[in-house]
Amino acid sequence: MAVETSDSFEALEAQAAVIMAVFNEASYERVAPSIIQPADIFLDAVGERLRARTYVFTDQDGETLCLRPDITVPTARIYLQRHPDADTAARYCYNGSVFRYQPGGGSPAHPREFRQAGIELYAQPDEAKADAEVLLRTLEAVKTAGLKAPKIRIGDLGLFDALLDAVDIPERWRHRLLAQFWRPEAFRTELKRLSTVPGSAVEGLPADLIAKLDPEKPKQAEALVQEYLDAHGIETIGTRSVSEVAARLLAISLDAHSAPLPKSIADLIENYLAISAPVRAAGARIKDLFQRNDIDIGEALDAFERRLSLLTKGGANIAQATFDAEFGRQFEYYTGFVFEICSDEFGPASPIAGGGRYDELLKVIGAPRRIPAVGAAIYTDRLLLAAGGGAP
Amino acid sequence: MSDPLIIAVPSKGRLMEQTAEVFAQAGMVLKKVGSERGYRGAIEGLDGAEVIFVSASEIVEQLKAGRAHIGVTGEDLAHEQVADMDKRFQIMRKLGFGHADVVVAVPTAWIDVRVMSDIEAVGRDFRRVHGRHLRVATKYMNITRRHFQANGITSYRIVESLGATEGTPAAGTAELIVDITTTGTTLKANGLKVLDDGVLLKSEATLFSSRAAEWTPETRATLAEIARRVASL
Repeated sequence: MAVETSDSFEALEAQAAVIMAVFNEASYERVAPSIIQPADIFLDAVGERLRARTYVFTDQDGETLCLRPDITVPTARIYLQRHPDADTAARYCYNGSVFRYQPGGGSPAHPREFRQAGIELYAQPDEAKADAEVLLRTLEAVKTAGLKAPKIRIGDLGLFDALLDAVDIPERWRHRLLAQFWRPEAFRTELKRLSTVPGSAVEGLPADLIAKLDPEKPKQAEALVQEYLDAHGIETIGTRSVSEVAARLLAISLDAHSAPLPKSIADLIENYLAISAPVRAAGARIKDLFQRNDIDIGEALDAFERRLSLLTKGGANIAQATFDAEFGRQFEYYTGFVFEICSDEFGPASPIAGGGRYDELLKVIGAPRRIPAVGAAIYTDRLLLAAGGGAP
Repeated sequence: MSDPLIIAVPSKGRLMEQTAEVFAQAGMVLKKVGSERGYRGAIEGLDGAEVIFVSASEIVEQLKAGRAHIGVTGEDLAHEQVADMDKRFQIMRKLGFGHADVVVAVPTAWIDVRVMSDIEAVGRDFRRVHGRHLRVATKYMNITRRHFQANGITSYRIVESLGATEGTPAAGTAELIVDITTTGTTLKANGLKVLDDGVLLKSEATLFSSRAAEWTPETRATLAEIARRVASL
């Protein structure tokens, strides 16, 4: 909130007490991460675009710090401080301020300082159960705080991963598509390129050299690249080695000699990403699409179904929820189940709460391996207004 | 008398000399007021204007805050220091000196890299091999971030560099750079090449007007007179 009156402050505090009571009751341990965080960790996890929306600054010791733009990463740091081997299941909850740069200092709808209450689950062995738990618990919290008709929207990035795993496509192309997944336009361009002229990247590169490279002989390729550099009087500088240059030229050469990605596979990928429907209907369409294309992603689909039935059992009105195959694309750290809870008051553009699975994040910030993690955050200022507890 | 139109002009070096020359050609002779080292000035025969002499980057701040109505500075600095420059400033006239390009340069030995989109592919491989992002040394953090984002490049980290940026790849403190260049000779001497589509900005000294400044009928009239004179250049 840009300006807090004592009334709205007290209303927010009272609401936070209600939400935290729901979390405590469900045996989430309350943590209070620092507001000032090392910027490096966020920059590694989120990338440079973090700077576009985060207050990053340098202190008197020259250390680069930031005001936390979310509480998920700071909470994960607390978990790793307590359990450096990340071998213990844990459930944490939090409530506090986050800070995001808004052009011109922000507005009531998009303040630069606001509060989030949330939960995070780490290293839970039953992932579908943990996914369902997070959505159910968040739903319980917002309903207890007075939200009348929550609208649920879900997605599942795990299904997309499974689809790419199941289709017949070279490993390096799979990596490339996965890396571009977060940028829909670039993804479409890449998919189109792979399914038409996968070797077009050769243009402008040393063609004679590339023609001589043999993918079976990487050592020889490195020597040939070194020979080329010497012959052209090019000095090698910096940290990226000649063998890395050679490896990429080899990949380029492979692309140049590869048949394009079959149109059927490109269509399948696009058709999957276009699915947007009530969850049951979406489930049927996904099954149907994959069966017609002879694609077996049984495990991921089972997880999807099991999560839905756990949600139904838990009392969520899941028949009313929407499934969007594209949903989750805008947040690079999500890896599986994603969801949003919206309200009639604010509509789909400003969700009341959101969350999902982020199994890669803990490794990026120092865990010894990939650690299952799932969580959610409630935008409590919005919730207060939507639940009618604050002045509009 | 009503408040004058404030013109911010570079306070030192070639930029100041060339600004004075070009202004004189347009019939606006700059003169300092008070002591020789003073930072205030006037334009002969143009009573409605007052000149302040400040550094090129400070001129951007003065325009942003509206403390100066118009000012001469480099487009590179304006784009770097103001995210939505097009909304806040108006270009009155490009002045034809202080030419420099803001470019993306990589080691010449990266013979597999020719265009911006190659950087993203290299960045992903680099992260797998080295366990960290590619580092881009620059003093143009905002320009770099905007253009890299526009080109879909995400796998990189910026290392702020306030001098001798072109030496950072050889020194091993960055893998590539975004820097200003006039002839490209320095880049070449440091084993670097500019990407085919790596010119992010063609910059020159430019006369800007500020939308944030207070515009009265008097300052508008003075602005119109200055606009008429620079149009003759």
